[in-house]
Amino acid sequence: MTTLPGQSPLLRIEDLTVSYHRVPAIHHLSLALGRGHCVGLFGPNGAGKSTLLKAVAGLLVPETGSITIGEQELPKAAPLIAYLPQRESVDWDFPVTVRGLVEMGRYHHVGLLKPFSATDSKAVADAIDLFNLCPLAERQIKELSGGQQQRAFLARAWAQEADLYLLDEPFSGLDRGSAGTLAAAIQTLKERDKLLLVSHHALAEAAELFDMALLLNGEMIACGPTSEALSPQHLECAYGTAIYSGGHRHRARP
Amino acid sequence: MNFIAHSFSALTEPFGYAFMQRALLSCALTGFTNGFLGTFIILRRQALLADALSHSLLPGLAVAALLVGLSPGGLLLGGLVAALLVALGGEFMARNSRLKDETAVASLYIIAFALGIVLIRFARFKVDLSHFLFGNILGVGNGDLWISYGAAFLTLTTLVLFQRPLLLTLFDATVARASGIRVGWIETGLLTLTVLGLVASLQAVGVLLSLGLLILPAATAYLLTDSFTRMLWGGAFLGLVSSGGGLLISFFANIPSGPCIVLVMALLMGLAYLFSPRYGVLTRVFRGSHFHEESLDRWEGHQGHDHRVPGKD
Repeated sequence: MTTLPGQSPLLRIEDLTVSYHRVPAIHHLSLALGRGHCVGLFGPNGAGKSTLLKAVAGLLVPETGSITIGEQELPKAAPLIAYLPQRESVDWDFPVTVRGLVEMGRYHHVGLLKPFSATDSKAVADAIDLFNLCPLAERQIKELSGGQQQRAFLARAWAQEADLYLLDEPFSGLDRGSAGTLAAAIQTLKERDKLLLVSHHALAEAAELFDMALLLNGEMIACGPTSEALSPQHLECAYGTAIYSGGHRHRARP
Repeated sequence: MNFIAHSFSALTEPFGYAFMQRALLSCALTGFTNGFLGTFIILRRQALLADALSHSLLPGLAVAALLVGLSPGGLLLGGLVAALLVALGGEFMARNSRLKDETAVASLYIIAFALGIVLIRFARFKVDLSHFLFGNILGVGNGDLWISYGAAFLTLTTLVLFQRPLLLTLFDATVARASGIRVGWIETGLLTLTVLGLVASLQAVGVLLSLGLLILPAATAYLLTDSFTRMLWGGAFLGLVSSGGGLLISFFANIPSGPCIVLVMALLMGLAYLFSPRYGVLTRVFRGSHFHEESLDRWEGHQGHDHRVPGKD
């Protein structure tokens, strides 16, 4: 297990196996990550990056192992998690403005029918302000650029008061400028003591974007400070063979 | 003066008949409720699924007619059960097999349809389903009116009560599931209400046109607004106005009420499609290609300012 010195971890994964139709996509993965880190998820296609994010978000049922966020197990911990979908899965024509989108983040605080309190309105205003969306607040979401759209979703997560941010390929399809503002927004979240798990396919900018990296290829190959985790030796291990073919540390339970 | 008084009394004439009052009340209730519900169906992109369901009512009606005769309550119950079986059965198949939901529902509905046609061969009396195919709004009885009240009450309270989880699910079901919402229950509930809405509009417009009340007003509202709440209530309002208006026009022009109501809704939708301030097809043609003010802003912004984004380079 990779444990960081200092604080108690926010996300603790123990012996996690997730499989599709009995074919495991992640084998017996254990790790612990603390607040205030931006962790890049790397690995070849099919390494289980999306699977890991979805399992932590509670969208896939693990076959073995447990996921703990803060002190709580998954169904209860759901309000602490913000899962950002891939951009293609969002209906950008949906009749909602940026402000409406951010207000959705407050829904589990206000419940079914209660009107928004002053606290809720302030949380929404703060989130819009933090991600520099003030001039865009009344726009329909399709009228934003790719980077602004990603920031709007981060603002929703901020209004939700999530601690753990799961981002699935947020940089794909963004131009240089948009990627820059998104990187700045992610940096802001990291500085405010959130934990971010970000799947990413390009290794080139890894060191600029992430202070930690998690290298996957079905199993966890390395997890630690970016430059160490993405050492040539580890990369060879992850990308050199198409399919992980070594022995597994555990035997799958019957 | 005499002429004005005469035309006024001609205009108010339909309101004097009890059958017409009942018809108007039933139309208004159903138009409002289904217009409200339509927003959810459109945003889930289930308009064609609702169409399949509207046709799957028919075999249910046939079976009910065989079992309990032509009493309105029995027929409505038959339609409700048949469409619910198709809808929920389709969901069930989609969740437990490789089949996608529209394939599963389409298969089940066509199977149910074939089964209904076979069953109707065994009828001891001749079953005339034309009222249910085309509606019979002027024959609204007390039982039918109670059904309208019940459906409207149940649908509107459920949708208003669960508006927030519904909105999250409609917008992105995956994210809604991750945030702890029981998406499966929400989807099943929405399908059930869709079937109820279809059944409730049978009397007004019949099986073949029931989809119109669900889809057209909400689609019109969708073309006009960017706010979810305004789309909801706008769709309901348009449904109310056009079903009431359509009924009155059908009375004066002496044409069948079902098609008349749907055509009034179609007219409103056509207007929105062409002239909606933001999304109208013709509006787009006649509007300038872009805001010159914004170009000017950008241009002036670049003078002296460095517009590169912070955090990069």
